[in-house]
Amino acid sequence: MKRRAALGILPVMILVSTVSCTDFLDQQPQTALTQEQVFAKLENIDPLITGLYTNWRNARKDRGGFMFQLGGDESQQGAFQVRSEADQAGLDRYDGFLAPRNNALTQQWDLRWPIVSAAAKAILALQTNTEDEAKRNVLLGEASFIWSAVTFELTQYWGEIPIIDAGKLNEFGTSRKPLPQVYEYLIKNLQFAVDHLPETQTDKRRVTKYAAMALLGKVYLYAPQESNARDYQKAADMFDGVIKSGKYSLLPKFGDLFDPSKPNSTESLYEFQFTNTYPDNNQTQWQMGSRALASIDGNCAFGGYDLMVPTAYAYKDATNGGVWEAGDVRKTASIRYDFIYNGQPPKLLSGFGGDELDPHVKKFEDPRTQGTMSFWYSGKNIIYMRYADVLLCYAECLNELKRTPEAVGIVNNQVRTRAFGGTLPVTMKWNEGLSQDEFRTKMLDERMRELCFEGWRRMDLIRSGKFVSLIKARNRWAAESNTIQEFHKKYPIPLTEVLQNEDISDADQNQGYLP
Amino acid sequence: MKNQILQVLLLWLVATTAFAQTVTIKGRVTDKVTKAPVFGASVALKSDLSKATITNDTGEFTLTVSGPDAKVIIHSFGYQDVEVQVGNQTFLEVMLDEEAKGLDEIVVVGAVVRRESLTGSVATINAAKISQTPTNNINQALQGKVAGAYVVSNSQPGSDASIKIRGNNSIQFGTNPIFVVDGVIIDGGFNTLNPDDIASIDVLKDAASTAIYGSRGANGVVVVTTKKGRNGAGKVSYNAWFGVQSFSKKVDLMKGKDLFDLRVDAYANAFIEKNPQGNRQQYITDSLMGPNSLAFAQYELDAYRQGKSYDWLDAVTRKGFQQNHTMNFSGGTEKGSYFLSFNYTDQKGIVQSSGYKRLGGRVNLEQAIKPWLKVGTNTSFTNSKDDYVDGSVFSVAAVANPLLPVDTASYYLKYGDIENQDAYNPLRSLSITGDNISNRLLSANYINISPIKDLNIRSTVSFDMTNQQTFWYTPMTTGQDRRNSNHGKASQRKDVYNNLQWDNTISYNKSFGPHYLSILAGTSMQKNKYNYNQVDAFGFPNDDFGYKFLGGAYSKDKTSLSSDFITTTLLSFLGRADYSYNDKYFVTATLRYDGSSRFGANNKWGAFPSLALAYDMSKESFMSNLHPISRLKWRVGYGIAGNQNIPNYAFASLYRPNYTNNSVTYVSDGRLGNPNLHWERQKQLNLGVDLGLFDSRLTITADYFNINNDDLLMVKTLSTTTGFTNTVSNVGALNNKGIEFAINGALIRKQDFQWNVNLTISHDQNKVTALYGDTKAIYNKGGYTGVEIQRTGNLFLGESLNSVYSYKFDKIAQQSDMDRIKDMDFAGRTVHPGDIMPVDKDGNGVINDDDRYVVGKLNPKFYGGFGTDVTYKGFGLNMFFNYSYGLKRLSGLYEGLMSSSGVSAAHEDLKDRWTPEHTNTNVPRALYGIPRYSYGDTDLGLQNASFLRLSTLTISYTLPRKVASMLRLENTRFYVTGANMLRFTKDRGYDPETGDGYPNSKMLTAGLNLTF
Repeated sequence: MKRRAALGILPVMILVSTVSCTDFLDQQPQTALTQEQVFAKLENIDPLITGLYTNWRNARKDRGGFMFQLGGDESQQGAFQVRSEADQAGLDRYDGFLAPRNNALTQQWDLRWPIVSAAAKAILALQTNTEDEAKRNVLLGEASFIWSAVTFELTQYWGEIPIIDAGKLNEFGTSRKPLPQVYEYLIKNLQFAVDHLPETQTDKRRVTKYAAMALLGKVYLYAPQESNARDYQKAADMFDGVIKSGKYSLLPKFGDLFDPSKPNSTESLYEFQFTNTYPDNNQTQWQMGSRALASIDGNCAFGGYDLMVPTAYAYKDATNGGVWEAGDVRKTASIRYDFIYNGQPPKLLSGFGGDELDPHVKKFEDPRTQGTMSFWYSGKNIIYMRYADVLLCYAECLNELKRTPEAVGIVNNQVRTRAFGGTLPVTMKWNEGLSQDEFRTKMLDERMRELCFEGWRRMDLIRSGKFVSLIKARNRWAAESNTIQEFHKKYPIPLTEVLQNEDISDADQNQGYLP
Repeated sequence: MKNQILQVLLLWLVATTAFAQTVTIKGRVTDKVTKAPVFGASVALKSDLSKATITNDTGEFTLTVSGPDAKVIIHSFGYQDVEVQVGNQTFLEVMLDEEAKGLDEIVVVGAVVRRESLTGSVATINAAKISQTPTNNINQALQGKVAGAYVVSNSQPGSDASIKIRGNNSIQFGTNPIFVVDGVIIDGGFNTLNPDDIASIDVLKDAASTAIYGSRGANGVVVVTTKKGRNGAGKVSYNAWFGVQSFSKKVDLMKGKDLFDLRVDAYANAFIEKNPQGNRQQYITDSLMGPNSLAFAQYELDAYRQGKSYDWLDAVTRKGFQQNHTMNFSGGTEKGSYFLSFNYTDQKGIVQSSGYKRLGGRVNLEQAIKPWLKVGTNTSFTNSKDDYVDGSVFSVAAVANPLLPVDTASYYLKYGDIENQDAYNPLRSLSITGDNISNRLLSANYINISPIKDLNIRSTVSFDMTNQQTFWYTPMTTGQDRRNSNHGKASQRKDVYNNLQWDNTISYNKSFGPHYLSILAGTSMQKNKYNYNQVDAFGFPNDDFGYKFLGGAYSKDKTSLSSDFITTTLLSFLGRADYSYNDKYFVTATLRYDGSSRFGANNKWGAFPSLALAYDMSKESFMSNLHPISRLKWRVGYGIAGNQNIPNYAFASLYRPNYTNNSVTYVSDGRLGNPNLHWERQKQLNLGVDLGLFDSRLTITADYFNINNDDLLMVKTLSTTTGFTNTVSNVGALNNKGIEFAINGALIRKQDFQWNVNLTISHDQNKVTALYGDTKAIYNKGGYTGVEIQRTGNLFLGESLNSVYSYKFDKIAQQSDMDRIKDMDFAGRTVHPGDIMPVDKDGNGVINDDDRYVVGKLNPKFYGGFGTDVTYKGFGLNMFFNYSYGLKRLSGLYEGLMSSSGVSAAHEDLKDRWTPEHTNTNVPRALYGIPRYSYGDTDLGLQNASFLRLSTLTISYTLPRKVASMLRLENTRFYVTGANMLRFTKDRGYDPETGDGYPNSKMLTAGLNLTF
């Protein structure tokens, strides 16, 4: 009897162990959302968009944030850096290391596409969403803006690039697309952002209508001729719209722009928000500061490791073959010349580049870290676009539209007046009778004085047509190597992209980089 | 066979009733294989176990028995019991089988099966072999002893050795086999198993034997069976050993003076490179050796002039010390058995303040409650405590500047004036406390019901629970703290692993005439849960409370919290049928059907069948004339094994919440979810033969295997234009084939003198036979920027998984080459006399990515081990070697040391560097700060890592019987073992097997085994 009872347990056991096996095997992640869940509702898309802001911001911090500024006419690598990292040195030397295999560039490329792609997916999801329409359109505007800001950067530096449209993945694939098509997309997306973004945002991480207008203005102004998208009038209209909004003005004191206690000022159209706390610090001073100071005190606010330093042209006075005019307050606000620390002059260390006590970039110094924490925690906001840039771009457009006197007026009365402390000496005034071409030349220098190290210089050089000549003349390493050529205006498509992207082959490589 | 114990019990009952006249018999007990006398074996009258005697040194005994009907039972530790009817014999010749071979049952997936019916390729190691290597780690005990198992020991205290069976069958996931301990499948933490508790280890190598484990069997299965008590008198045994440990080999680093000279040379060469007309000697005198040296700091010049060289590694290391104690109590009755064991192990690591302590206990019980009902448990508990040392202590000290005086003054170490903020002063780093406390309960509990004869229903519930706490405190006095401006950092972490397994089986075993049939069906459910949480707190008023007072942290904004919860499940249905005829023909068919939560909804299930046949030819009558051949068994097996060891939730693209900038954001983790992921399926063919010759004095087991894996799982890096950086997918096909031999020989089988030798040889080779689409290569990106194509880990169609992809080293450029290469494009690198020149593969005068190719592979041609075991009277000498031939290795350590220009640690081999006077060398010249091809760009640094290692040498002495019995001891053995005492290799890194992370160690151990 007992045995039979025991036998009776068997079916029960089998039953219990097989019941609801589909449930048993369905184990979903408990601390992450799947892509489907994220894009299914606005409540989740919102934090996704803030995530994109964070990723976009992070592309501008630390070492990577300065890769596009290396090899310029205003900034170059420190001597020790050039000696220690050949791929990175190639960005300044324009030698054989600036090749598809260049890892420093590959990293920048690889960092940006996931942002573009996630923005594209958000755009598609929002387009089909039916929740709260007002909120949806704002989010759509933000996603469109981020998509555009990053795509703009990629096409400026690499030329023809894939267009990521989540709704047309099968049609477009990931092949390189002609510039007119790339710019058509940029303009379309930015126009949407202009039309739907709010005029102000209390959350400073988020972009506004005017930031979109300014960026769209830049797209019209910076678009290469081959894109057929360059349009000075449309650009001027956008900049004019920002100016006419009355929401922005130049800060009276130039130095206040870089005072961490005065973030998100009336001059700021958008800045990347950072703090002194990891992971929201930006480590920029670690890259910009001087090693000679770092060796004295790891908590010296202008110490660092000399990744990028100003070129001689960018730190010298005009009388010495540099860019600076006497009386321009922007000079010492942008560049550190004085390295006396605690009353002691630092000394050069053996075994380094020898340029550690040459003038250094000052705009990223974060005095809040002084004495209490490492400059690794530097975390001042980094400016993306500010009103002075809008004014200068607007002036440029006017000049191109043959309204040079008006353009000179804007430069003199606003940007340069502030630069000279509120009163522009007569000798420093630009002549209203400048020719269009003279204006262009002077503007390139003015932009350097106003905006140096803020990240627009490489694009400015590319569109000016003086990329090769100015870099060769002003960049120490490019001059030494003497190998820079016109084709270097575009970076090489990374080797890993060519190998892994079935839509891009060796033959699609940018001209000049093929053996 | 399998009902032996029952039969014994039955016969005993019968025998007790029969009594007649008494007879005195003599006899001798020997080992069946070695023919060595077995001393200390108990010979007992079956009818009355209290009437017993013990064999002497020559294995002989004398016993008074009741008459011809009397039966005696001979029992000895490590052997299978034998029962003999006295009959008319006056001298009994008794031969004992070793226990592991005799253990005729083995528990698989919650059911007991006949070991004999494991028709596939199985290697068995018994307790005696395991105890040859004094170690806390069972993997280490297997090293070199199983053909086809490649064991790499880990030299860090308390860490697991890794084991790989039959080479590479998968790319990235689960090259380790699964471990099954008394039926419980465990993942990792093998070092919590006490080798002294283990009765046998069976390594299942082919699909025919692993198919019962289905989806998890693809990389082999290691079945561990722990000891059980046996029927008879209770027994106590005590094992202890003490060991002294030191690094077996450090790399030969340049001392102060040589490093100084190297730097002078490197700077001077760079000076001439830039100023071809410059005065080298004057530059050295003025700019390098002078007061304002460009190259040297004052302290370096001082050290050089005083002829000093400092050894930082010495300052942070010491002699390691280990001790291990195990005590067992075992015994049993006809109704049940018990085995209790307690273990204590204590290690002091070679790096100061590193250590490991473990306290463990085990209870194995089995009890028949009713004639048809049996319950049992195999339960062990382990408490271990690791004293961690910050990893930088060793890694920084190992490459510190020999010109820098050893003291705690600085936060960071330096070369010249270059304070390297990554090189934390190791003397300060020693003050970082790291404690890990881990508790593990591993318990398998079963109930076995036998409702009718030969039918067994068995249900097993198993737990494997690990609770682990990890604590760190980094004081303010360290470089780590200064660099991160933390003012003290305390971390607490809790990890909880909770694995449940429930197996239900029903089996029917029946012998009728020459036929034997066994049928098994069952289900298995597994649920593995894991969670962790971690708190990092920063900013403390002082270092006094260490990690213990998180409430005192004042940098609240830096506080970091993290946690995760992961659950995976596996559900299986299995069936197995064994049939044998006359113990001559064997057939085993297995089918397992597995569902796993790791795969997407449509691909959760997979079926894993196998079929194995064996034919024992020596049972044929025509073979009985062939005297030399005592055994000849042919085996063939074919089956499909699976692998589900992929990252969790790889079927979905995940967005993780992330707190940053005052709000939560959702950020993709970079992985593209792949809902089409499915099982990796390995089709395995195995052909084998077991051959015994000359009365089994020579036994040979040979196996050939051919494994085709058609759905290789791997993390594939993606073009980031897809929006993701990687995905897990079934990317291609891999073929892996090889042969294995295990040979044992008994060279001498004399009464007092035995000499046994054994040898394993394994060979395997793999080839990628298909990749997805038209793809010819899949690249492995990594390195400092994360985007560099690595030299290893790439997949190339038609090449081995272990290929090396780089430029090929051509030669060191000489003056005579300059004319020929002056127009070559070296992509910005300098190639002047003394520099590395790669091969221009396509001969187009440009060295670019087209010149990188597969320059070699790392796989050994063959590997294994061999040993010799000599016993003369009570003395034993055992040596065990393991070896690998044709093994290649990339040594990042060596390449780094060889790329030094005197401003980082340098290898002694740089003394052989190229100079205009010494041109016949493959070591490039010294050069500072000018880009050129380095060791890492070419295969110049590829190490010939073939090695021969004396992995253990043991000298032992067993107390003579007379002395032992006077002390009332059954078995007493003393031994001294040297582990890893000798090694022959051309490899220039730390160790060809354990790699470059940490040097390997050697250990001298003295130990004692006592049984009474």
